[in-house]
Amino acid sequence: MLLSSVVEEARIQSIKEDSDDIGNWGEYLISPRTEEEISAILKYAHEQSLSVIPVGGGTKRGFGGTEEKADILLSLADYKGVVEYSEGDMTLTVRAGTTMQELSEYLGKHQQMLPLDPMWPSHATIGGVIAANDSGAKRLRYGSARDLVIGTRLVYPDGKVLRTGGKVVKNVAGYDMNKLFIGSMGTLAVLTEITLKLRPVPKYESLVILHLPQVQNVLPFAISLLDSMIEPVSLEVLSPSTNFLLNGKEQYALAIAFEDVEKAVHYQEDWVHTHKPENAVIDHIDQEDARNWWRRFSELAPAVIPGTDIDSRIALKIGSKNLDALDLLVSCHELGEKLGVQVEAHGGLGHGIAKAYVGGGDLAKYAGFIDQLRASEKAAYVIIQHAPLAVRRELDVWGKRPPYFALLEGIKKAIDPKRILNPSRFVGGI
Amino acid sequence: MIRDVIVQGLIDLVGRDAALYRPEDLLAYECDGYTVHKRAPRAVVFPTSTEEVSKIVKYLYENEVPFIPRGAGTGLSGGAIPLSGEVILSLVKMRKLIHVDLQNRLAVVQPGFVNLKLTNSVASKGYYYAPDPSSQYACTIGGNVAENAGGAHCLKYGVTTNHILGMQLVLANGEIVEIGGAPDMPGYDLMGILTGSEGTLGIVTEITVRILKNPEGKKTVLAYFDQVEDASHAVSDIIAAGIVPAALEMMDKTAIEAVEAGNFPVGHPKGLEALLLIEVDGIAAGIDDQIDEIIEVCKHRKVTQVKVAENDRERASWWANRKTAFPAMGAISPDYLVQDGVIPRSRLPEVLEKIRQISEESGLRIANVFHAGDGNLHPLILYDARKPGETELAVKVGSAVLKVCADVGGSITGEHGVGIEKQNEMCFVFTEEELEAQLCIRDVFNPNNLLNPDKLFPKPSRCAEMRVAR
Repeated sequence: MLLSSVVEEARIQSIKEDSDDIGNWGEYLISPRTEEEISAILKYAHEQSLSVIPVGGGTKRGFGGTEEKADILLSLADYKGVVEYSEGDMTLTVRAGTTMQELSEYLGKHQQMLPLDPMWPSHATIGGVIAANDSGAKRLRYGSARDLVIGTRLVYPDGKVLRTGGKVVKNVAGYDMNKLFIGSMGTLAVLTEITLKLRPVPKYESLVILHLPQVQNVLPFAISLLDSMIEPVSLEVLSPSTNFLLNGKEQYALAIAFEDVEKAVHYQEDWVHTHKPENAVIDHIDQEDARNWWRRFSELAPAVIPGTDIDSRIALKIGSKNLDALDLLVSCHELGEKLGVQVEAHGGLGHGIAKAYVGGGDLAKYAGFIDQLRASEKAAYVIIQHAPLAVRRELDVWGKRPPYFALLEGIKKAIDPKRILNPSRFVGGI
Repeated sequence: MIRDVIVQGLIDLVGRDAALYRPEDLLAYECDGYTVHKRAPRAVVFPTSTEEVSKIVKYLYENEVPFIPRGAGTGLSGGAIPLSGEVILSLVKMRKLIHVDLQNRLAVVQPGFVNLKLTNSVASKGYYYAPDPSSQYACTIGGNVAENAGGAHCLKYGVTTNHILGMQLVLANGEIVEIGGAPDMPGYDLMGILTGSEGTLGIVTEITVRILKNPEGKKTVLAYFDQVEDASHAVSDIIAAGIVPAALEMMDKTAIEAVEAGNFPVGHPKGLEALLLIEVDGIAAGIDDQIDEIIEVCKHRKVTQVKVAENDRERASWWANRKTAFPAMGAISPDYLVQDGVIPRSRLPEVLEKIRQISEESGLRIANVFHAGDGNLHPLILYDARKPGETELAVKVGSAVLKVCADVGGSITGEHGVGIEKQNEMCFVFTEEELEAQLCIRDVFNPNNLLNPDKLFPKPSRCAEMRVAR
């Protein structure tokens, strides 16, 4: 290879060892430090028709894709740091390789935050989080990546460097191109910089865990809460096994977070106390304790974490109409018992996304689990967010093609006609 | 007898009652809220269902006739103005509220459903639809989607794109597709790219929107200043204090003069240089502390008077005064042109100074009304179309103001869209390659450029001319 002609040799590493069980690996690992290098690498790959997998912290290497390795594993991990921070405008431009944790530490010094709570913030980079559109329980209040990204810089497969959006919080000039790249799984372009809308760190925060011995009490309570005027940041149902892991009680629970001025937080906690079902038990933590709880929560999901053994469980993301998340979560719990697999599940009432982490089974059991879940009328989709390569090769990560697949394919062809970026990583083999 | 075979074909499809084609009937469709440019459409048709939209579009597509979807025609950038004999599909007869699901906080509407009607329909249950453009009493949700409309309250609650959950769409070839429906649908975010595409990528025929619960408490503050600079600093200080107001609006001297001469005067004192209208909402228990903090900030910035609305009526009068600022210009000027630049909030004082200079040099008065909290300026350029050359001058002044916004790292439009008005100004913010990348996406959805043709993008040759070193 003549890669050394486009990027400093020290940045190129030939990967000798075999791929682990996860796949999405590369013949060469290249870790550029400048945008020019990223552009030069892609241009070269484009000319030579080499496949490229962009990677940040690598936590989502088990998400999509059926190949053991591409020609180039393009790591953005060294392309990190804040490019521009305008405290008064509450906007930030950051390089893609910056981890979520580095970002919150930086912003925390200024009492600001990026209100996005994806899994594994210690390892996940902002570029990866945006490319995979990861989010957490607090999207109920703060929205997801599509509500927070206001601009990007990115490199197209042929090496062109382009900007989308801008640096201001309100902008309708041209198509909202930001949206195309959020959740595109790196199949269209390599994100190099992302400009984000920030919020002030809440003056006070607390977490109310409402343990509900009877699952039938969950929905009426959630409905009355959503119909009230209180404004929780999360309304996340925890399955009994998830609640046991986090809080030591093996029954359904609701994790209800409040972030506001202190008086308003206490007022809302009182509301929960007053309106809770009679036999429900409340655990209540605040400030640092609440933050620690959420950190543990963010590490429930199986992911690829350097220095640890490969997690052979599978992670599912299930999309539904808001309240239907509860039924789907209960289905996950029951399917687990029926099939004899270990399942931890949680899901947001009010945002409609549930997650299930399934372990202790074999391919047949996982297939059964997913098929039965996909058969539910309430599931708009079930996708596999993490699984070993062998599982991904047998099970359909994304489910069936949508009726408008031609549009998705058209977009891919328009931007990456040679299919060099993350081939077969995305919906319908894109 | 109708000579135009296309018009005859359309009538055969939708019936004589659902089509306009006589020149006198087309006058009302020569322009939208942007009145500088006018041209009649070939015909206007009024479909009543998605299937009918699809049939019409198929017919036009097969006959290679260009067409434009249109809502209430309140758009301010000329997106619904015909350029060369397009057929207009007016969606105003598709104005049903199809379904409301309070428990899942969503509503399904047809595109011709009026924005404010949605809030009115769910208000008795304590819910509302958040995006609130000033024209919300007339504008349609379909039009809001096309323009990605904003409003005074999007500082805290976001713009239209943040509130759209699903849509049914008729593509340029007449095919009907459903997109969205659940959060994070696998695949590229088609809803995201459709919203704000100004009717160039598809015709939205059904929209699922998020509705929100009314905040428990709401307080509104009015603050008067002797200097625009003090008001600008107060805006920054409020944000820096960690407060996220629901709205943070500003008007300058000329704007205040106009609203006081308009239909909804509230008796602002004479001679003010600037006023701020600030609203905080949320949990009632937390609001008073924030209001106290805002008042402190204003005092620190030499506010001459600051007061809290005593009741809903007073609040409503302040908002009516603000929201009718555009039409109120009619009271002090025969014509006006509204611009829609966005700047980083922190650059407000310097940008206002530059706008003042532009006004002085051109001799045209400029009133400033804006969503100060998110840096979205609405400079209103006052002119008299009867004076030769003044319309052209006003357009030129508007462009110069947008250049100032672009040069400080802002945008040429925050909520009004590009349409035909700002096509050339797109070059202020995008390179040719970046525009080309957007056109590639248009080609995926609208390969023959029949759907609202030649809008939004500059004519290729104009970019080099417009661009100044960035």
